[in-house]
Amino acid sequence: MVTHDDILQIARLAKLSVPEEELDALTKDMGEIIEFANTINNAADDGEAFDNINNLSNVLRPDEVAPSLEPQEILKNAKDSENDHFLVKKRVL
Amino acid sequence: MNKNEGKISRISRSLMNKEYSCTEITNKYLSEIEKLNPQLNAYVNVTAEEALNTAKKVDEKIAKGEKLLPLEGIPMTLKDNISTKGIETTCCSKILEGYKPIYNATVWDALSRCNAVLLGKTNMDEFAMGSSCETSCFGGAKNPHNTNHVAGGSSGGVASAVGGNIAAYGLGSDTGGSIRQPASFCGIVGLKPTYGAVSRYGLIAYASSLDQIGPITTSVEDAAIVFDAISDYDSMDSTSQGRRQNATDSLKNPIKGMKIGIAREYLDGIRDDVKSAVLDAAKVYEQLGAEIVYFDLPALKFALPVYYIIACAEASSNLGRYDGIRYGYKTPKYNDVNDMICKTRSEGFGREVQRRILLGTYVLSAGYYDAYYKKAQNLRGAIVKAFKNAFEQCDLMLAPTVPMTAFECGKAVSDPIETYLTDICTVPVNIAGLPAVSLPCGFNSKGMPIGMQLIGNSFCEHMVLNAAYQYEQSVGADIFKTPDVGVSL
Repeated sequence: MVTHDDILQIARLAKLSVPEEELDALTKDMGEIIEFANTINNAADDGEAFDNINNLSNVLRPDEVAPSLEPQEILKNAKDSENDHFLVKKRVL
Repeated sequence: MNKNEGKISRISRSLMNKEYSCTEITNKYLSEIEKLNPQLNAYVNVTAEEALNTAKKVDEKIAKGEKLLPLEGIPMTLKDNISTKGIETTCCSKILEGYKPIYNATVWDALSRCNAVLLGKTNMDEFAMGSSCETSCFGGAKNPHNTNHVAGGSSGGVASAVGGNIAAYGLGSDTGGSIRQPASFCGIVGLKPTYGAVSRYGLIAYASSLDQIGPITTSVEDAAIVFDAISDYDSMDSTSQGRRQNATDSLKNPIKGMKIGIAREYLDGIRDDVKSAVLDAAKVYEQLGAEIVYFDLPALKFALPVYYIIACAEASSNLGRYDGIRYGYKTPKYNDVNDMICKTRSEGFGREVQRRILLGTYVLSAGYYDAYYKKAQNLRGAIVKAFKNAFEQCDLMLAPTVPMTAFECGKAVSDPIETYLTDICTVPVNIAGLPAVSLPCGFNSKGMPIGMQLIGNSFCEHMVLNAAYQYEQSVGADIFKTPDVGVSL
């Protein structure tokens, strides 16, 4: 059974703010989806953890110095920036 | 009987014979897009200037008498989650509005190097999460066979454009069926390659252990040509291996003696019209000298929940990057950094994306990880093994692509579980990382296309496409016909 508190807790972890008026509908949807996910509880498995698909192993390139992207290019997509930095509101903990 | 011809080689021939110039062909496509797109809603961004610039380059090459590469000068489209440098790429989400990538996806780099003519970016379910294209912030793409029906999802825009003949071919991405399902709904061909066969660099991630880029085309030959052009080892994608064998050269191989398996589970709960079309296709294969073998694959029973748990877990992590700081939408009013991030995400993501992020966060959270995520990973291992055993009994597998034909617009959004069930035949292939092609195998009584899929063992795209091509050549153009709209050359 999924409760409002469960949804608010997961939303906090996922950094989503759930508006009060959507909480009922979302709790109902999530309850159904989790019930659906619960069907795997009945499945027998051999307890062997899945490693990877097609026995792929990481294909690593040599660690060589190569040109990277220009900071000014990267910052073009940011709403707020200053000099070579992304700008966010001051946060003191 | 008319045979279904490859569109890419036909356009290429007419360019080389100077029947049309590339600029003329490109203009034909652009003017048909202008006419049809208001109904189909296939394109979300038309790149006319880019297309005509490339066309000009191709025409100059032809004028100098230079030989063209197979995809040179062919007008095409990309799903809006494939990064295009300097061209807005939004994943059809408000959270990426205005985002212009500063680098190209490797697949687009490869195609643009051979002067592929990019007509525009096409519609999709937001972040590729959906089966009807209707979770797009631009509204859904429509089915060219009947615009009251959906084009399917998530690569609905590519399928609508290719099926409506306003792109010669396109690239989509397939995480749980997003290439094959819309190809099936629109009566065309869609190939989901083996995991690792095509570079995913520059594909905006949904679920990284499942995502794969592939072609959507109107013929099997075209799918093979595009696959051969995009499947290559890429140092920018650490899962990339490239292809093992050229697919185009294998198309004409005889399939006599080939063993085609049908897992009974794939026929459970399938609508009658779809089931009988698929079984008719099996008869065609028998006439072509293939042997049909039936077996059980009980591991498939849990494929759908396993898929949703793994895909959403990976999505909740991948989509953590959207915080309003570096790109895309940022909420205008907020108190502090945390408030800014939460509001940006809630205002920027649509409802289905938020549902999947929440489910993913839930299955990865303390106390639930073992019961859901770990269990799903164990079952994934069991599904991989089951397919491995199946391919000891057969060379390829035949199955329906979707249990039904394209649904009416607006029917998919209301019930999430009902909508998830439409993916039941497509997700096992992603879980096991296998290649599969969807191709048309008939129409229902209302004239809507029915699709079937051929599934191969890892890196056996050449075999999958070989068998698909033999079927296509045997049944003729009627089964593969697209509606009489758009560009005909």
